[in-house]
Amino acid sequence: MDFHLTEDQQALVSALQSILQDHGELPQGERLSYAYHHSGLQALLKASGFFDAAREMGALEAALIVIEAARLPVLVETGASALVAPMLLPANEGVDGPVALIAGRDLDKAHRNLPIATTALIDLGDDVVVLPVAAGAIETVKSVLAFPYGRFRRAPDLGAGRRIAGAGPKLRQWWRVAIAAEAAGAADSAVNFTVEYVKQRHVFGRAVGSFQSVQHRLVQCHAIARATYYMALRAAWSGESVHADMAACYVQQNVGRLLFDLHQFHGGMGVTTEHLLHFWTYRVRALQAEVGGVNDAARSVATKLWPAPTVAQQGRLVQAR
Amino acid sequence: MEFAWTAEQEEYRKRVRTALDELLPDDWDERYVPESYASDLQVEFSRDFCAGLAERGLLVPHWPKQYGGNGADDWCHFILNEEMKAAGEPRGPQYMNINWIGPTLMTFGSEAQKEQHLKGIASGRVIWCQGFSEPNAGTDLAALRTRAERVGDHYIVNGSKIWTSYARTADWCFMLVRTGPGKKDITVLLTPMNAPGISVTSFPGLIKDGHLNEVFFTDVKIPVVNRVGEEGQGWKIVTHALSFERVGVPRYHTGLQALHLAVEQLREEGRYDNDPVIQTRVGALASKFEAARLLTYLVVDQRVKKSEANTDSNLSRITSLEATTDLMNFLGDVFPNGLAGGNVLLEDYYRINIPAGITGGTNEIQLDLIAQRGLGLPRSK
Repeated sequence: MDFHLTEDQQALVSALQSILQDHGELPQGERLSYAYHHSGLQALLKASGFFDAAREMGALEAALIVIEAARLPVLVETGASALVAPMLLPANEGVDGPVALIAGRDLDKAHRNLPIATTALIDLGDDVVVLPVAAGAIETVKSVLAFPYGRFRRAPDLGAGRRIAGAGPKLRQWWRVAIAAEAAGAADSAVNFTVEYVKQRHVFGRAVGSFQSVQHRLVQCHAIARATYYMALRAAWSGESVHADMAACYVQQNVGRLLFDLHQFHGGMGVTTEHLLHFWTYRVRALQAEVGGVNDAARSVATKLWPAPTVAQQGRLVQAR
Repeated sequence: MEFAWTAEQEEYRKRVRTALDELLPDDWDERYVPESYASDLQVEFSRDFCAGLAERGLLVPHWPKQYGGNGADDWCHFILNEEMKAAGEPRGPQYMNINWIGPTLMTFGSEAQKEQHLKGIASGRVIWCQGFSEPNAGTDLAALRTRAERVGDHYIVNGSKIWTSYARTADWCFMLVRTGPGKKDITVLLTPMNAPGISVTSFPGLIKDGHLNEVFFTDVKIPVVNRVGEEGQGWKIVTHALSFERVGVPRYHTGLQALHLAVEQLREEGRYDNDPVIQTRVGALASKFEAARLLTYLVVDQRVKKSEANTDSNLSRITSLEATTDLMNFLGDVFPNGLAGGNVLLEDYYRINIPAGITGGTNEIQLDLIAQRGLGLPRSK
């Protein structure tokens, strides 16, 4: 076991942070927005080769990219482009990003990142369809969630895409890793932002952050963010689907606590969009229900750790009763 | 980053499991575990069990060779702890000797103390108890009142200690006493529990038998040579001792094991495989324990790398506690007779964990420490 980044991983993160710091600023005119996708930064990261990290270095490195990018208030689509697609598709096959991840049963509904996507990966259960997204095919849907949301203007022709037989479970596995990675970065930024706020903001003659009731709950949020970080990276490292399920399950069951407490500690400022907090918290909220949310993730964990008994075992159980 | 065990670590774990297979009696689960690791039965059993571990080089593997160890790293020590906890902690109270009493004496003890006590601990046959808490001094050790007055080459000790697990059967007590009026006038005395003037009273409680004792000291004569370090060094020594407990108990390991038992029982009763609600709760619990496991391993890794102490150990403790508490609530939800003649191992898990948020520093103290030292928030007024 080694929980420290290797020199190569550290170099990757440092290079990425440097670019994000220099080019990831939220434009003044977007400060009141619900979400802002930074297309220039997206292109820059692609041109700099960060989206190739999964294949060239490994899934853990790709997850690190997702985590770091998610720390920004501006959005760069990395979860699907840098992690899920490269881990799902054959090594000689790339996709144009940004990529939207779509549950096939909800095809007619609004989907995260669809308005900015050039490709959609559609989960049909057993199979996956890789579908190019044509310009003009998507109508934007207004949302308080901190991603661009949109739906197909008319039902897409799935036959126009490439069908990958049997890839559904793998898509859902890496989608869950991406959820955990993106949530880890966003949650950590939201916690840090709140910690700074409660140090500065005074009520009744003392800093909000000096109240024990605030401190204790903020620490719990910090613990969630920190545990999610390692769970996401471990799931990326191992490639084990149960680790992906656990990572998503852990953070998805804690979204409610993060959202309530972090906004609560900002008082009235927490319900405005003048503050940056919602860019992170409502990104985490958006991830809460994906791939079946906490319930599907939890059942998947349980099924893998305690598989259903075989017919012979069932017979013995019935006899024992 | 690397999240796998090495081949050597896997091999070491097998060695520990083999030793457990060889040393535990066939009726361990049925007869001993339900009595809990602080019961007289288990404490006495630990003398033979730990001697057996010592013979196999598995009692103090992380100690330096000069004191009977093998100089193994913290991962080995932690694997040992995981396996022992998972087996119901057959070392009884001796985990304290191994984890922190011995290592503390290595740093602060006199040569005579090292000679006597390190050998004793490494033999696996000596029982210690910890004399910190008092009726009016728990987490707030500065409030302790048990006094030790110097008279010639002895101290005369008067006062009482409480919550003193294992006191009934202990040979020695690693005890904090007040040697002056100042807040930090605290001194450590190694007290033989058979000294005249010591009496132990057990009292009933929610935890299992043997955990709750009160120890009274009436004009107990303790030789000055039994003092660890100098007078007034108690704070420094205790802080050092507790740093060995940075990682804490591997609760995720015992938690996942208890969850496994619960699933088996629910399945036997026909209440698991067709119940998606229960399966969802089980999966969510397992994920929480996994979060605790990773945060705990993070701390072990930091220890192995000799990183400066930080609040990650406190984070691992609060995360483990939350998972443990959720599991206890789950057991309460699904087993109406869980604490009334139900599965004895699950009842043991539940009752042993009743004080999980109190022992080793209360949960609130952990949260305070992380808030102030980790997040840099101002002290509460």
